[in-house]
Amino acid sequence: MQDQGMNSRGLILAGVVLAGLAFLPAFAERYYIYLAALILVTGLLASSLNMVLGFGGMYQFHHAVFFGAGAYAAALLTVRGGANPWWGYLLGPVVAAALSLVMGLICVRLSKLYFGMLQISLGSLVWAIVFRWYSFTGGDDGLHGVPVPPLIGSVRGAFYFTLIVTAVCLGLMYLIVNSPFGRVFQSIRDNPERAEAVGVDVVRHQLIGLVIAGFFGGVAGTLFVTVEGTVFPDLMFWTLSLEILIMCLLGGWFTFLGPMLGAAIIVSLRTVVGIYTEYWTLVLGVILMLLIFFLPEGVLGFFTARLGRRRAAGEDG
Amino acid sequence: MEIASNVNLASLGQQVLVGLSRTTILFIVSSGLSLILGVLRIPNVSHGSLYMIGAFFTYSVASFIGGQTGFWLALILAPLAVGLLSLAVERGIFCHLYDREHLMLLLFTFSLMLVLGDLVKLTYGSNYRSLAAPLMLQGSFSLSGLPFPRYNLFLLVAGPLVALGLWLLTNKTKIGKIARAAAVDREMVAAMGINVSWVFAFVFCIGCLLAGLGGALVAPTQNITQGMDHAIIMETFLIIIIGGLGNIWGALLGAAIFGLTDAIGILVWPQFAIVFPYVAVVIVLLFRPKGLLKSTW
Amino acid sequence: MLSVQGLQKSFGDFMAVADANLEVAAGQVVAVIGPNGAGKTTLFKLITGQLKPDAGRILFKGRDIAGLKPHRVCQRGISLSYQVVNLFGRMSVLQNVQVAVLARRRQVLRLFTPAARLAMDECWEILDSVGLTEKAHRISGTLSHGDSKVLEMAIALGNRPELLIMDEPTAGMSPEETRAAMTLIKRLTGELGLTILFCEHDMELVFGLAESIMVLQQGRTIAQGTCEEVRCDEQVQLAYLGGPGDA
Repeated sequence: MQDQGMNSRGLILAGVVLAGLAFLPAFAERYYIYLAALILVTGLLASSLNMVLGFGGMYQFHHAVFFGAGAYAAALLTVRGGANPWWGYLLGPVVAAALSLVMGLICVRLSKLYFGMLQISLGSLVWAIVFRWYSFTGGDDGLHGVPVPPLIGSVRGAFYFTLIVTAVCLGLMYLIVNSPFGRVFQSIRDNPERAEAVGVDVVRHQLIGLVIAGFFGGVAGTLFVTVEGTVFPDLMFWTLSLEILIMCLLGGWFTFLGPMLGAAIIVSLRTVVGIYTEYWTLVLGVILMLLIFFLPEGVLGFFTARLGRRRAAGEDG
Repeated sequence: MEIASNVNLASLGQQVLVGLSRTTILFIVSSGLSLILGVLRIPNVSHGSLYMIGAFFTYSVASFIGGQTGFWLALILAPLAVGLLSLAVERGIFCHLYDREHLMLLLFTFSLMLVLGDLVKLTYGSNYRSLAAPLMLQGSFSLSGLPFPRYNLFLLVAGPLVALGLWLLTNKTKIGKIARAAAVDREMVAAMGINVSWVFAFVFCIGCLLAGLGGALVAPTQNITQGMDHAIIMETFLIIIIGGLGNIWGALLGAAIFGLTDAIGILVWPQFAIVFPYVAVVIVLLFRPKGLLKSTW
Repeated sequence: MLSVQGLQKSFGDFMAVADANLEVAAGQVVAVIGPNGAGKTTLFKLITGQLKPDAGRILFKGRDIAGLKPHRVCQRGISLSYQVVNLFGRMSVLQNVQVAVLARRRQVLRLFTPAARLAMDECWEILDSVGLTEKAHRISGTLSHGDSKVLEMAIALGNRPELLIMDEPTAGMSPEETRAAMTLIKRLTGELGLTILFCEHDMELVFGLAESIMVLQQGRTIAQGTCEEVRCDEQVQLAYLGGPGDA
């Protein structure tokens, strides 16, 4: 039976790409290794958002706040607490998941746009606190030179660590999407009223989904600290949230690997366009407009839909 | 002891007035956003960009003409220009997107915000601009010994005027009534043989004009700069949510809550003043998740 | 099995259900009839927990279920098949049924077991019994109206309910589809021993299937009895069947 959001060919392709990435440091320059790590981090963040957005149908407008929470938790633990940086990789996701639970408990009874709006205001509250709490979070300057475990301190080490963690997280998320939990989550996306009528505790299910997404968002945050060695409030500013929403949209939010693809496209475009012009957001805006007009299901969504149509035509014929 | 409490009371009064003049700006901008959201169902993220453009246009017109007349003319011309710009955008792009999901509309207006932001940067560069208020509104008068800027007093007059104008527009004119009916049931209005599409265009234009007006009014009080759009849009969104989506009086109430908590926050705990309005929003939404006043949704 | 007593529900000033009374014995097929707006759908929504009653009792297997959340009612053994098509539109036919089966088996919180192998036998069995096997991998949003209604029923069956409630199971179907659906419902009651409560405008279907009929008018139960009894009831003839002796 076909899995949700990705067929076996997609799985193989993903494996090949990941394996290929493992050889990247052998020939690529430092900058490109760094860029690849950044793509993986952003892609993981977008994928974690898509868990609730594409597979749960929840308008999580401010997902970046969990990214920031994970990053700040990890950074603060070492900078202010003086702990071994490895603990940050545990604390970051847990703090993000806990924050997600609290915000979820407040928002989950609302639907769609109201959910998203309340979520974005709660997230902005967290951002405002981080932005101003100079003595603890470093305020709008953020924290720089966050210690990273020596083993993964180099660009190459950070890249390999990011690659492995991202691969493991994607694998876990893939399992979850295709588990009974994930299947029921999708049924809630399609029709919450009906899901409730067949005996699903919709609110509980959505809460768990939010916590999972927050957790993986937190993982991405800790990876960001590993790659950049710094945290700043923009990590949880709402514009980043909308940017990762765009990545999900661009790649295709009913597909599993779409957000990863979207992140890769946007991060590399930003780098390439950034060389030629400082008006990167203009380009991004125009791309997005064209996208919404012509490819509302995203790049991967477009191709899988075409593939599906061809297959259906083959079956009928 | 008594003097101290007097001073405190005076400074509290001063901050309340400052908060109320901030409320004016917030109200004017968010009522436009609310109007668009209520009638057209578009969560217009680019609203903040139009506000910023309004401020920059005001600067351009005022400094081109110069003098007192420059400012007053700019106060009229800049919002009109923003309104025309928005009309072009609506007719050119938005009218093809009305049946899309909210999420798509939100992302679309976000992309518009990105484009407009960079266009402003292309035109005006990255430096900030500042604009002096006209002579008659410069300086301060004394309020129990504490200075209160004249321009803020002007804002306090302008706010109610705009509110009155909006009330007249939505309640006393034919197109306002049609727009309100269309907000509730657009099929019904269409069935009456009214061209809903143009009603929408009109409402969108008015809403954006208000954003431009807000930008024009704010121009003399702060630096006109990139990033104004980011700052205001989140605030106005929160304001219309706590007020009740689509409800203009809700926008007024929300703006007052936002402006006053911000101003009082500055007095009480300056470092975390920025947090106060957000806390107020969260508290309101905990008890009234759909906003204080009745939403048109 | 199910006993509804003095149920009331109003929306603002409008009394949708004023005084509904209903008895369903185990294994019985019971129909609710009444003109449009009599409150049939509201009654069903009250029983399944989608609406909260203002007053009255709903006893299911001796316990009051009035006011329970829909998923709790479902877990007690009552399943609803909707009047308007209400599916999981982006999922395949098979997955639509699987969700119901998983929910019944309380397996919805398993995070890391592949769903593709869970409960498959049962899902295929259900699809077989309703005749959707060949369309199992179609996306449910692309089904024809008739097939959608059948899938509606299949989802409800996935809950393996003791009481299956069907809100106009043949609404909008073509005559052939209606006949097929009727055969299907008959078979289900025979093979699975299901207790069924349904409402329907098609009187042929009602009198062909139901063992007991409850008549609802303006939110009030005016009669419940066998087909013969209801046919002969004067009040019913006056109110619903259009005058005495007409039926």
